[in-house]
Amino acid sequence: MIGVYREFEGCMRLMGHVLRRLRVLALPPVTESLTRQIYFTGASATAGIVLRGALLGTLIIAYVIDVLDANSALAVKILLWVVLREIGPLIAAVLVIQRSGTAVVTELALMQISGEVTSLRRMRIDPRDYLVVPRVVGVALSTAALTFYVQVIAVGGGMLLSAITIDASLGQLANDFFLLASPVDFAYSMIKSLLFGVAIAVICCYHGLHPPGVSINAVPKAAINAVTQSTLLVMLLNVIFAYLVFGQAFFGLVTAKI
Amino acid sequence: MSHADPAARSDSASSHSAEARVALGYEPSAGRGDGRIWILKGGSHRVAGLSDTRKARLLSAVLDLKPEPGARLVLLGLEVDGLGPAERTALRARVAFLPAGGGLLSNLNAWENIVLPLGFHTPGRLRGGAGEVSDLLGGLGADPHALLPKLPERMSAYEKKLAGYVRILLENPELVLVEDLGGGLDAAERAGAAGFFPVYQARCPGGTFVQLEGSPEA
Repeated sequence: MIGVYREFEGCMRLMGHVLRRLRVLALPPVTESLTRQIYFTGASATAGIVLRGALLGTLIIAYVIDVLDANSALAVKILLWVVLREIGPLIAAVLVIQRSGTAVVTELALMQISGEVTSLRRMRIDPRDYLVVPRVVGVALSTAALTFYVQVIAVGGGMLLSAITIDASLGQLANDFFLLASPVDFAYSMIKSLLFGVAIAVICCYHGLHPPGVSINAVPKAAINAVTQSTLLVMLLNVIFAYLVFGQAFFGLVTAKI
Repeated sequence: MSHADPAARSDSASSHSAEARVALGYEPSAGRGDGRIWILKGGSHRVAGLSDTRKARLLSAVLDLKPEPGARLVLLGLEVDGLGPAERTALRARVAFLPAGGGLLSNLNAWENIVLPLGFHTPGRLRGGAGEVSDLLGGLGADPHALLPKLPERMSAYEKKLAGYVRILLENPELVLVEDLGGGLDAAERAGAAGFFPVYQARCPGGTFVQLEGSPEA
């Protein structure tokens, strides 16, 4: 229990440091590191992540339509409530954890064990400024961008599939969708995915900088801790966010009294 | 080159005027059994026979400006114990350290490693940095075009030391601590490493160059 509290406190402190030191992003080495992080998480991952996300989104629509024998209105509601608000940010977050989260925690843990983090301190460079700030900002921005890609492709794929499987034209589905969707839905999913990205990056950076040992065996342990905790936190944030914004969680199973 | 044996001292620390001339003075806490280190400003010095533990204690005291309880540290004429945070930061900026392995980051090439501290501490100097780095590498007998694009995994032990050394020279430190300068080098590379001090002396006249050598039994 004490260990969990220490990790939570450590992550909060790291988060506080990132917020206080955002200005270091203007320094050339940090800008370079931020660019690399955005390229790795947001750009080079796009093809794989978007394809997998789109496939998952489309499959969800296919199953729901088949099981519920859905009509046009229900298909659009599912696209909006499930894919746009929930599945899009969640798929992007889970894929970012799998790809970038593991890379960040492994890289930082290896740097810590090999003495490179100490080298930075001895150059009078705060490792949090150089290693954590650009990663947190880069992963957060990239998660939001990937969420947007996943949403566009998953919703587009879902509409195409719905048009084929139910008796409704693509134009009618699109029209219903844009009538029902509001800017709040878009802002909600973007803010949520930014939060997901921050949470993933902070947890992965924390475990990377605090591996549970000084041998190479500590690296996979740090990675497991980071992946497990960031996945749990993303799920928790998703529930809290849905409850706070829409007064409901678990797709409406838990509803707030407003 | 003067030799500062851990068990011996080369000057008296009794007066304030004497302290002002000290580049590195370290008196371990009583009971440690370690000898004092007392090095005057200027020139090249060698501290030999350091065990790993003692070297780590010394480096921690000097680079973190945190001597052990009961120990005394005088750095560039200043008694570290009585300094405030701003004075400590300013003092620390005047000291540089070259680890035995060069202290390079594995995911950056030689150029990025060399200019990393410059980018943090004096980003305005980055613009003219390329010429300065090439001149320094040329002065040390290295080919900048061959070395600068290399990642540390593709560099020899000597090239790593070279890149690490140029990195600290760019900051014009008044005190340079070099760990195990000849370690892991062949005869030709050791001869090249012998040229490190003259380049530093030419760049920072009056600066102090201290080699920290381990002991075979340590």
